[in-house]
Amino acid sequence: MRTPMPLGRVSATALLTAFLIVAVAIAVVGAFQTRANMAATFDRQASIQLAQLTFEELRRLQIVEENALRGYSLSRDSFYTEQYDSAVQDFDAKLASVRRTLQVQRLNDADRVLADYALIQDNWRQQVAAPLLRHPNATQIADLDMRNKLFTDYESRIVAVLRRDLAAANAAFAGSTQAQLDRSAYVRAFWLLLFGVLAILFNAYRGRLDRELEEERTTTQTLQRAFRSESVPLPHCDVGTAYRSASIRVAVGGDVFDVFRTTPQRALLMIADVSGKGIDAAVLTAFIKFTVRGMSLRHDDPGMLLAEFNETFERTVRNRDLFVSMLVGMLDTKTFEFRYASAGHDAAFLRSKGDVRTLEVTGPILGVMQSDFETRAVHLRPGDALVLATDGLTEARDRKGDMLGTDGARALIGLAPGRAQDLADALASSVAMRGANRLRDDLALLVVVVKEDAGA
Amino acid sequence: MRNVGVFVLTLAMAAVMATAAFAQCDVHAGNHVVLYSEADDPDVLLWDSRFRLRDYNAASFDVSRELLPHARLLSQGTRATVESCVPDFVQLRLQNGYEDAIGIIITSGKYQHIRGWVLSTDLRLHR
Repeated sequence: MRTPMPLGRVSATALLTAFLIVAVAIAVVGAFQTRANMAATFDRQASIQLAQLTFEELRRLQIVEENALRGYSLSRDSFYTEQYDSAVQDFDAKLASVRRTLQVQRLNDADRVLADYALIQDNWRQQVAAPLLRHPNATQIADLDMRNKLFTDYESRIVAVLRRDLAAANAAFAGSTQAQLDRSAYVRAFWLLLFGVLAILFNAYRGRLDRELEEERTTTQTLQRAFRSESVPLPHCDVGTAYRSASIRVAVGGDVFDVFRTTPQRALLMIADVSGKGIDAAVLTAFIKFTVRGMSLRHDDPGMLLAEFNETFERTVRNRDLFVSMLVGMLDTKTFEFRYASAGHDAAFLRSKGDVRTLEVTGPILGVMQSDFETRAVHLRPGDALVLATDGLTEARDRKGDMLGTDGARALIGLAPGRAQDLADALASSVAMRGANRLRDDLALLVVVVKEDAGA
Repeated sequence: MRNVGVFVLTLAMAAVMATAAFAQCDVHAGNHVVLYSEADDPDVLLWDSRFRLRDYNAASFDVSRELLPHARLLSQGTRATVESCVPDFVQLRLQNGYEDAIGIIITSGKYQHIRGWVLSTDLRLHR
């Protein structure tokens, strides 16, 4: 079980991450919206510019009409009437195109002026062009010239107004485009700034978080070094230990073992698995270690020791969510009698002449209820190995999720090397390999092998 | 004696005002010019009154047409001499702009010696 990150840290990290995601999302959506707006403005501007060009073409056709009429009145050449007719048709088509554009772009004033222009041109055709085309030698030519002048003067003024209006519309769209570009730049700058600030805050927060975690890890390691499992050399015995933490961030577990010589001839062997991890578990393991050591000086009966510890644990810890599985044994280093009591701790084995058996549980887990704990005894012979482990051994899972189990543990122990430390290391490696180097639970191993020359 | 003084003072003020007015025109009395309209039709309308000139350019199409009997159509290239100028006298319809009214006397063509009024954009200096 990994140490959970405090809720406040998770919330702050999630909040900052959410801010970053929202900032990026809004910036991306905003960029697309700006692009769409600018594309629409560019379309309108292009439309106005096309209307300007078409209007200038219209204007050219008007002059073509007038010049064709002059040519015809002077030469009576049908070439000019064809030119005139063609210009009239083109003029009307272009006029419709420009008016459509002005109406689509809602340039109503310009459209009204253009309508006036079209009306004047139509009147010119009726009142000036038509009479001259019918009677090129008309006597009232001077009057027609005057009318022509009137029409062209008026059209000149209208053209000037239309040019001005279209240019103003074009300039307005250009200004709008520039404004959108400016706005887009400001918005981008704002989001970039916000994103940068959030990133800096996020980075700073992560840095602080990492520092806090590092401090906690260091503190925990310091505590663990101070309180963690210890072993001392025992006469005629070979002692090996191994400890693997399942936590990546914090190398602290709730497993603990201890080898403590209560007298020159007698040694306390203890292994326990505490629910919970981190500093709380480390403190609890310290409590267990020193309490059991203290009690071992008064009791040489492991069952009585566990019963007293159970009562002390309940009174002291007062947390119904915390419980401990523990095996306590007293090893006589002269007779090699090992008397033990097990409070729900089923990962203890005795290897003797190739046979591996489990040391039976003799009472319930500590911290659950008041109970007596039976003391049992086994007699160790030279070469025998006591293997005290935590459930990180028996509950080690492979990639499929299958647990090693007690039988699997016994099989591993049966095949392991003879020296205590080699045996502990081999078991730890097997567990690590089984889980592809990912431990699901902490693992503590205490191995005591009676030396071959112990009976001599 | 006193009346003479008032008359001289009035003349002086008129001269000063006229000088100020001329100062804003591009052409001045005595300039020789050639008629050429900047409108589509380069022929020029010569008006018998500067007020009709103003009305023609400021009025609607129908009103302008009613004023045509008071104008003569002069061919482009007709020569004239500037006699007077009234700056910004004519406000152009639709365009919201102003032009000078120029008093001229025709010096060539069939309307030689005729006086009238044209727009400042209806003539150019004869070099």
